[in-house]
Amino acid sequence: MGRGDGGDEMWRGGAEAVLDLQPNSSISITYDTFFGAPSDLLLLELDDKLLPQILQNRVTIRGEPDEEAVLCTPAVTYALKYVGTSNSVFLIPPSGPSSNVSDPSPVKVASVIKLAPGVMELVEVAPRLDKLKELLAENPYRPEEDSMEELEENDGLRRLRWEDLVERVQASDEELKDALKDNSAVEINGYWRIVDEKYMDMVLNMLLHNLVLNEWSLEGFEEDQVLGIMGSDGFPLKIVLHCLEVYGRRVNLNDELSGGSCLWRLDEKQVCVHFARVILCGGKMKMERFMEEWMDKIPAGMSAGFEMLEGEVLVENIGVETWIWAFRVSSLPSTPAERFAALFQARQKWEWKDLQPYIRDLRVPGLSSESLLLKYTRRTQPTMDAEPVFSAR
Amino acid sequence: MQIRVKCECGESSCREWAIVELQGVVEAQPAFQDRIQDLEIGVLCRSSSQEKYTFTVGYHELSGSKVAIKKPLLVLKKKKLSDSEGLLGSSSNSSKIELEVIGIIRHRILFKTRPRALISRSEPHIKEKVNKASPSVQ
Repeated sequence: MGRGDGGDEMWRGGAEAVLDLQPNSSISITYDTFFGAPSDLLLLELDDKLLPQILQNRVTIRGEPDEEAVLCTPAVTYALKYVGTSNSVFLIPPSGPSSNVSDPSPVKVASVIKLAPGVMELVEVAPRLDKLKELLAENPYRPEEDSMEELEENDGLRRLRWEDLVERVQASDEELKDALKDNSAVEINGYWRIVDEKYMDMVLNMLLHNLVLNEWSLEGFEEDQVLGIMGSDGFPLKIVLHCLEVYGRRVNLNDELSGGSCLWRLDEKQVCVHFARVILCGGKMKMERFMEEWMDKIPAGMSAGFEMLEGEVLVENIGVETWIWAFRVSSLPSTPAERFAALFQARQKWEWKDLQPYIRDLRVPGLSSESLLLKYTRRTQPTMDAEPVFSAR
Repeated sequence: MQIRVKCECGESSCREWAIVELQGVVEAQPAFQDRIQDLEIGVLCRSSSQEKYTFTVGYHELSGSKVAIKKPLLVLKKKKLSDSEGLLGSSSNSSKIELEVIGIIRHRILFKTRPRALISRSEPHIKEKVNKASPSVQ
């Protein structure tokens, strides 16, 4: 028997004999010769439904050394919780292939290789995506890069390939892909980027300009034609396509009708919200002035409604004046505790209709939005028919 | 960083490990405490009635049963993959770690009662060397 370093087969084992112990028989349980040596064994408790994912090698553990590790299946993120036990849990491995197969007598000894101090349990959690936002924000794509032939690899800026993201962000692949989309990130030359907002504004304005100039409809214009025109204006096609993805929707039409080229229409809400953001990036302003400037910027053929700005702006009455400022839900932390802290820092008391757009995206597995409110807010209702008001706990 | 959970045993043939679990701690006699390897812990015995088990440790007898674990436990082994580009001198955590599934646990023999003293028997040691001890329990 090759006992020495490494392989599991050096253990005497005997799990089968323990599990298949027949009535009226006995087996001696001993410490293995190598008891205590394998300090690197872990027990992971998991649902039977997750078993196939593990056995098909579709599971990874993600996190930096200073983060609590999470386990990711292709679609779901789980926190790993260590649960200790005060019981003595004797672990008995199966007999290795090197055990005496020729020996016909039944095994009389089973060897314990380790006392398990506890097990790891899995708890489904929301993906931890705030870091993705930070990483993307470090190095947005700017127009200067259009003319650069090759990326300068040594400029000290972080490059984010997909492989880098899964090393750094604690989310499953699917959740990560969704989050990249939610953050309007785009893969440029193999690296995931967000595009500088001013640059996006420039591209969108040029797109609108070209639509008007060529008398193309906002409701259906051809991708090939737009790419051709915008390309000749000097915009990289990748960025123009990204602009279409962010502010437009593909129109599903028969290929015969569109002659093979893809049709796009602009998304009214996305475009209107974009212009509101541009106007408000200078800070607080009076409502009348904001509305005036906003309406001014809305392209002909589109109509803006104030309800589009849910989760984008806050409005406050000061004396007789109404003021508005940008307060974007997408810029707030995504964990409930931090989210509510940020909300109550911005405003001490919230009415439900104002609060709802800022918490409806919070997703905590196993916790309803009611229980979130109970946990993080104090609800007051002066009279039965008054609107409830939420403040910090 | 990312740690891959790897399984080479495939869907059907993940080998089953066993757990013998009892409350409290089994202590070896002081003379053996530093070298408990190969010592006998006790004798596990299945009675004639179907799922009743006893575990005799020294003068004490525990009774328990074999129970199916609600959620299976995977036995994972940490494996350091040697970093062939170690010459780059990067920090130590650059060496890749993998967790390999080496077994699955679906049952345990659980003893949750307090031990019963076997006063009729007199044995000099709580434990003896396994190769000396006769694993017979009537």
